[in-house]
Amino acid sequence: MGKAVGIDLGTSTSCVACVIDGKPQALPGPDKNLIQASVVSFLPDGSRVVGNAAKKMMIENAENTVYSAKRLIGRKYFSAEVKKAQAVSSFKIVEGPNQSVRIRIQERDYSVPEISAMVLMEMKRIAEAFLGEEVDKAVITVPAFFNDGQRQATKDAGTIAGLNVLRIINEPTAAALAYGFGKELSQKVAIYDFGGGTFDISILEIGQDVFEVISTAGDTYLGGDDFDDRLIDYFAERFMREHDIDIRTDRKALQKLKNAAEQAKIELSTKLETVINIPAIMTGPDGPLDLNYTLNRNYFGQMILDLIQRTFKVCDEALQNGHLTSEDIGALILVGGPTKSPIIQEAVKNYFFKEPQANIDPELVVAIGAAIQAATLTERKAGALLLDVTPMSLGIATAGGLMDTLIERNTPIPTESSRIFTTTHDNQTAVRIKIYQGEDKFYEKNELLGEFRLADIPAAPKGEPKIEVTFEIDANGIVNVTAKDKDTGQAQSVQLTVSGGLSKEEIEKFKKEHAGKDEEVEAYKPGAQLPE
Amino acid sequence: MLDEEFKREINSISKVIDDLDYYQILKIDQMAFDEDIKKAYFEESRIYHPDKYFNEPPEIQDKINKIFKRICEAYKVLSDQDKRALYTKLISGPDRKKYLRFDLRLLKTETEKKEDEGTSPLAKKYYKMAKTAFQNKDYKAAKINLKLALQIEPENHTFQEKMKEVEDILNAKRAYKTPN
Repeated sequence: MGKAVGIDLGTSTSCVACVIDGKPQALPGPDKNLIQASVVSFLPDGSRVVGNAAKKMMIENAENTVYSAKRLIGRKYFSAEVKKAQAVSSFKIVEGPNQSVRIRIQERDYSVPEISAMVLMEMKRIAEAFLGEEVDKAVITVPAFFNDGQRQATKDAGTIAGLNVLRIINEPTAAALAYGFGKELSQKVAIYDFGGGTFDISILEIGQDVFEVISTAGDTYLGGDDFDDRLIDYFAERFMREHDIDIRTDRKALQKLKNAAEQAKIELSTKLETVINIPAIMTGPDGPLDLNYTLNRNYFGQMILDLIQRTFKVCDEALQNGHLTSEDIGALILVGGPTKSPIIQEAVKNYFFKEPQANIDPELVVAIGAAIQAATLTERKAGALLLDVTPMSLGIATAGGLMDTLIERNTPIPTESSRIFTTTHDNQTAVRIKIYQGEDKFYEKNELLGEFRLADIPAAPKGEPKIEVTFEIDANGIVNVTAKDKDTGQAQSVQLTVSGGLSKEEIEKFKKEHAGKDEEVEAYKPGAQLPE
Repeated sequence: MLDEEFKREINSISKVIDDLDYYQILKIDQMAFDEDIKKAYFEESRIYHPDKYFNEPPEIQDKINKIFKRICEAYKVLSDQDKRALYTKLISGPDRKKYLRFDLRLLKTETEKKEDEGTSPLAKKYYKMAKTAFQNKDYKAAKINLKLALQIEPENHTFQEKMKEVEDILNAKRAYKTPN
């Protein structure tokens, strides 16, 4: 039997951790780094590079390098987020079957869970190299505000990577676990989780070994990458005013600017001023043009002020839903790379009237919490008990256009709710029902999760069959639907089609396809010499 | 391994759980304070949280899951004041058995039934004055106040209905007076 690890599968970076001799710790990759870029680069010879090494190839191998796959996972092709990614990504995003998203690399289409699986396989390999034994089980984290489709797709990615996904847990919950585990605390904590692509706030009550999520709110369209975009636009506009050339029209130059902008952002966390210098970024009528500007922290702070303010609106919502004020919060924990910035730290401190917890690495804390949960589930001894909630309401479409809410948001999970359905005309053998997640009273304005079909209903006059359908949200936050005949108690067949998702067959197929590739990839370990 | 006594316990609880109300599930009485409800939820979680039985055979996990889901449900309803009040009323009535599990639709119809006394403070004030006038059978004053309330919140159904009621009474009075 192999080991169980915790994996933080992030938008821009990922991290793997394990409990070793009772002590949870993040594990270093071959380049000694505890965090790896969530980037996969496909090489012309059919092999691939994953992690920090792949990130270095984003300029030369732009078209075949996939990053920020988490922004696409579990999303439908026609969603706004996919359209946005399509406009800015250097790799090609195409439509797949069942409204899904596919990424086209070297004439081959990959599903998003496959790409995420490659990152997970790298994490698995890092853990195996460090521990010296097989790793076949994992707890994987997702943003608290991920919906059913995004959670399911993340779980599928784990399966494709050859991992038994013990549990999908929420990133802020994992962070709270890492903070409070074994400390016998009795307090309310706020987890301010600003990731590369998403923002979440969760408020938990810790009662010794019990971790109860009181409320959670989030914005899945807001992250540290948006800071980079602001910087890119700022520098590109400035460059255009001077030279009348738009950097954003040249993919390679844009990628260079992107890397430099990210670097500048990181430097401003420790310095008050930084220089951004890219020689010969574009070629003008009189030869090559350099980009050389200085940027100070205050000015950068003003550029992103509105983005930070947006997070506080979400914080207000979470506090309100939990019937709390910031005074009730006993500890404040920051999660995610962007929270290392003094600009954010200062703003958050002013909002909560509280110093954030020191000694917690915002980039490792989530993986460490996931590792603790993995140990709790695999080792038969007292661990931490998570009482999490569902972040959004679940309901079904009704004839009048209104959503019939079955399970309200912030309901503790696992949970279930039942409804009785019947037929509307004589001898009807099937009934179709659409499931939605969201808070709008009109279902059309919420996210369609999928549609299920009650089939093989015995012939009977209309209104006579009574089929009890049970909607369950399990501990992973994933929706399961079961049905039975109310009168006979017999199970009724349910066919569930998740919009944009993968079928069981596809998952198995991908798992087999990618399983044998390990050795091939081995040759290009992160940190090893890269092929030119 | 689980001891036999605990196995017997989860067996019997999972059998009778459909006949228990939320107070019985959390092992508290109907007068319990809010803190007691949370305390009970934590205590029951320490016993029945499915993560503690993750490596047990599926038949045990299924029963634990069933019990734990009901504990979560009980906590969700009893920790919300509106839901708890309505639930307690329903299970104390003659149809107790029918209402052991809370249905969100019940809360919706209940709140819809409640009159909408306006959202702005001024409209609320006028509506209150209209109601007092109505009670004192001063229908003209009631009409004036309702008119003012409706100017602020023309969409309010309670105001509209009350206005109709007042106008009907005034019309009836007028009709009664005309022969003289």
